[in-house]
Amino acid sequence: MAFAEYAWLIPIFPLIAFVVIGFLGNRLFKKWEGGAPVAILMTAISLVLALAVAFEALTTGDGTPFVQSLEWLVVQSGEFNFTFNMGIYIDNLSALMLIVVAFISTLVVIYSLGYMHEEGEKKRRYYAVISLFISVMLGLVLASNFLQMFIFWELVGLCSYLLIGFWNTRPSAASAAKKAFLVTRIGDIMFMIGLFVFFIGFQGNLDYTHIFNNVDAFVGGDALLTFGTLMIFGGAIGKSAQFPLHDWLPDAMEGPTTVSALIHAATMVKAGVYLVARSYPVMVETPDTMLFIAFIGGFTALFAATMALNNTNIKRVLAYSTVSQLGYMFLALGAGGYIYYYHADFNVGYAAGTFHLMNHAFFKALLFLSAGAVIHAAHTEDMRLMGGLSKKLKITSLVMLIGCISIAGIPPFSGFWSKDLVLEAAFEGIQYNGLFILLYAFGLITAFLTAFYMFRLWFLTFAGKPRDQHTYDHAHEAPKVMWVPLAILAVLAFGSGFAFLMGFESVLVPGLEGFVPHEASAVDLLVAVFTNILTYASILAAVLGIGLAYLVYYKGTINPAVFTATPARKAMSNVLLARYGFTKAYDWFGLKVIYGISKVVDFIDRRIIDGLINGISAGLIRAGGFLRRGQTGFVQSYAAVIVAGVSLIVILLFYVGGVI
Amino acid sequence: MFDYGAIYPEIILILFAVAIPALHLLLKSSRALAGISLVGVAASAGMVVYYLLNGYPGMIGSENSPLIVFDALAAVFSLVFLSVAFVAILASARYVENDRHLAEYFTLILMATAGMMLVASAQDLLTIYIGIEIASMATYALVAFRKRDKRGSEAAVKYVIIGGLSSALSLYGISLLFGVTGTTSLVGINEALAAQGIDLATILSVGLLIAGFGFKIAIAPFHMWAPDVYEGAPTPVSAFLAAASKKMGLVVMFKVFIVGLIAIKADWDIVVGVVAILTMTIGNVIALSQTNIKRMLAYSSIAQAGYMLMALPLATVVGDFAITAGIFHIITHAFMKSGAFIVVAALAYVAIGESVADYKGLAKRAPFMAFSMAIFMFALAGIPPLSGFMSKVVLLSASVQAAEITQWMLWLGVALVLNSALSLYYYVRVIKYMYVEKGESTAKIKVPVSLTVAIAVCMVATIVLGLFFDPVLDLCSEAARTLFPAMA
Repeated sequence: MAFAEYAWLIPIFPLIAFVVIGFLGNRLFKKWEGGAPVAILMTAISLVLALAVAFEALTTGDGTPFVQSLEWLVVQSGEFNFTFNMGIYIDNLSALMLIVVAFISTLVVIYSLGYMHEEGEKKRRYYAVISLFISVMLGLVLASNFLQMFIFWELVGLCSYLLIGFWNTRPSAASAAKKAFLVTRIGDIMFMIGLFVFFIGFQGNLDYTHIFNNVDAFVGGDALLTFGTLMIFGGAIGKSAQFPLHDWLPDAMEGPTTVSALIHAATMVKAGVYLVARSYPVMVETPDTMLFIAFIGGFTALFAATMALNNTNIKRVLAYSTVSQLGYMFLALGAGGYIYYYHADFNVGYAAGTFHLMNHAFFKALLFLSAGAVIHAAHTEDMRLMGGLSKKLKITSLVMLIGCISIAGIPPFSGFWSKDLVLEAAFEGIQYNGLFILLYAFGLITAFLTAFYMFRLWFLTFAGKPRDQHTYDHAHEAPKVMWVPLAILAVLAFGSGFAFLMGFESVLVPGLEGFVPHEASAVDLLVAVFTNILTYASILAAVLGIGLAYLVYYKGTINPAVFTATPARKAMSNVLLARYGFTKAYDWFGLKVIYGISKVVDFIDRRIIDGLINGISAGLIRAGGFLRRGQTGFVQSYAAVIVAGVSLIVILLFYVGGVI
Repeated sequence: MFDYGAIYPEIILILFAVAIPALHLLLKSSRALAGISLVGVAASAGMVVYYLLNGYPGMIGSENSPLIVFDALAAVFSLVFLSVAFVAILASARYVENDRHLAEYFTLILMATAGMMLVASAQDLLTIYIGIEIASMATYALVAFRKRDKRGSEAAVKYVIIGGLSSALSLYGISLLFGVTGTTSLVGINEALAAQGIDLATILSVGLLIAGFGFKIAIAPFHMWAPDVYEGAPTPVSAFLAAASKKMGLVVMFKVFIVGLIAIKADWDIVVGVVAILTMTIGNVIALSQTNIKRMLAYSSIAQAGYMLMALPLATVVGDFAITAGIFHIITHAFMKSGAFIVVAALAYVAIGESVADYKGLAKRAPFMAFSMAIFMFALAGIPPLSGFMSKVVLLSASVQAAEITQWMLWLGVALVLNSALSLYYYVRVIKYMYVEKGESTAKIKVPVSLTVAIAVCMVATIVLGLFFDPVLDLCSEAARTLFPAMA
């Protein structure tokens, strides 16, 4: 292990960028694009190092993780000793994450050079915080224990708050930032409770190596372990915007599009998936948690997809699609773990989830950055004002089309391979629990809906006639610094799926006992995929979705108005636009329930506790004023006090001595 | 046995004290005279350090009734007195420069210091009394130094009258004790009391001694002179009184009660404990409503004396550890309190008033003054990582240790903590005025260098003692053990 020794430097470089840009040289960075070159340079260095480390881990490692750690906090109290470490933990999973995070981050920062060009002095803050964001996400990936991960987890939350609210003078951005922070916080608290359970159950050691090797030594019984893993997954629900904590993600579109790309493709929401994948060796011991994860994932996939159907904001459609795709990942992970519990042998669930994570990172980064190019050109996010832009934005429309085909799941684009695996994992689960029939159906319907709304998006934006002449006239292709990253991502969005044929399944294994992947050549895998009826089902769903979108939004054979023709349909559409009322429910919960509790607490704090303290202090100050009056300034009275004092002391002494 | 070595440090000081008025005929500059006094202080301190490193000199008196013994305790306290004198002289150089009697001023400070050092090494009630009187006479004159200043004269008169009364009380106590035990040697008294037990006259004499020595320390209810005198005296003298003279009272208490009266400890420990709690509480409560900084500092000194006095009852249970804590707090307090007084003196020199309100916006006008004052205030309040925090922690742990054997002693710790919280109010108020409030004037203030140096010395000591306290604590511990010969 040569490069891995220096892996700790990976998060350090972006951190240096943060410090340099954030705290040094205000004047310098006014000229230098707000410090963008520093941010690009540092993330690029970190990318090179990350690629080296990841390549090394994936090719030379024998599956045992590379661990390096320092003692951070040592507590020895006789009965209960524990040590918190700070370290790095590199296995194939973190290697994969390193590649994804570092690669996409670097492209996003480069792209920002064009996208954020007009932001003026705010740029410095942007580049500083985005460097920090990248740094802490890399730190999260490399963490060697749950506590360290939690620290970075919280920092990721902080950075997302700062970036979503980047345009802090816009009330909608400010409230979106707060919403993202508060809603994910609910998940964070659950994560923390999960940590407490682990902390107690695993005798004060939260190191991955300790926990993964001593899962059986958990103290407290299965019920407690299930509770703990459920709570850990609760953290993932918040961070990865799963039902019912999904509603912050669409609002988070208030941030700059580059930030959205980063959050959706590489950082923030992927942290939740990573958390579940990371704790897999513990999670698989609790089938109930696994079933729950699969169910939440499957349900969220469908649930979020429906809301994307009729939204007219280009970024929000993408946001819902992220929620939905994350649902797929959880579905696969949950199904895989559940199957493993009953049948301790190889299944595709884990590989499917992480594979989809990687592919999604590429095509979603591509889609967001393309959408950013569209917004940059059209100066609006409303698809109703677009249309026909493909003539003006040739490159953008092409790369976005690649992204759409990929996410829709048309072979051989990357999305096809991983989505197929996800559905396969869900289908396999049917043998062990009937619920998976439902989840498989959810997945299949989602595939259809995804294809439909993604092509609806593409047709509305690029095809047909311009619906707003003004927007159309002013549109212009993005500068080179923006479309070059797009082109790179387009290649990956097309091709990252071939990793499957190169043996992704056998490289990314969860490190469980008895979990040995089948040796299979690329041809074997191809034969396996294309002789499976399920494959054709998912392709059919995608084709049907694209076809419907084509008929409605390109050909015009079907008028979009039919979707709202009857009162019932209209009502359904409104429900979707109102996000099933979740926004209102959050507000109600926040305003009535939480605020009500806050008022009570505030009353206790201000009136009772503070009142008591204030009363005491006012009394003491008054006492001071009173005693001060005894200080008359007359030396006679001083002498009298002394004599009285002596007498009192002597009396006290007599009393103590038992004389009187 | 009669080894002059035991009083070499005092002799050096007295030689300088006598020489300075004569030199004044040749040298008119106050700086030169201050410089010579500083040399005297340094020479004396050098002697003390020499003894510390190379072993202590022989005693004056006999083995059974020693009069003067220069031991670790004497060395530590001598160093405290000498450092305070050093700082006070530094701060006074400009203060007295236009005064005809400036030579006498330095003579008096050196004399007072010599008296205090004598007390620190005295082993007999009479030598203690003589030392106290030497120091007292000198400080009376120092307080009255500004003859034409009404406030100063009034303060001096009060000081003399109350001082006389207290002197009489302690002398009465000493004579009663002599009558009961037939000796004035502390060791002898203890032996006699251990043999014959306690009677009415002994108890009465203990009460009188608490009152008489308590006057010097300014413990309640014998504290009332202190605010008036500190306010009226020249500010460097106030610093000297609060940081040195008060400590002399404490070393007397430690000596008399631990060496001389330990045999009857059950009869006085609770009373001294009550007095300590009363003192800290009264000091802090009255300080809350003070608007004059010097008076506020005076009351704060009273409160701090309460903390130091705590060590005495605790010592009856945990022995030298409590005295170590007390001595450590005495040392840290010497620096933080004289530093605070000298900041006031420095600002008074450039015509900034003594009212808290006059300090508005000081942070902008004199950043170093404001910063150092903030450090002193935080240290006095006991905020980590400053020295005042560390010494309070040691006191508190002594109290907790003692409580394991004698339960009521926990109340001393509780009182310490509550009082510290209370005192934060008036300490931080000064900082608030300096840093938060906006002043009417924003003109920069220039303070004489000698004063700045004096303040810097105190500030560095205040910070360093909070961080690297181990060697000092070891020294305190060595000093404390001399009071407990059985353990040494």
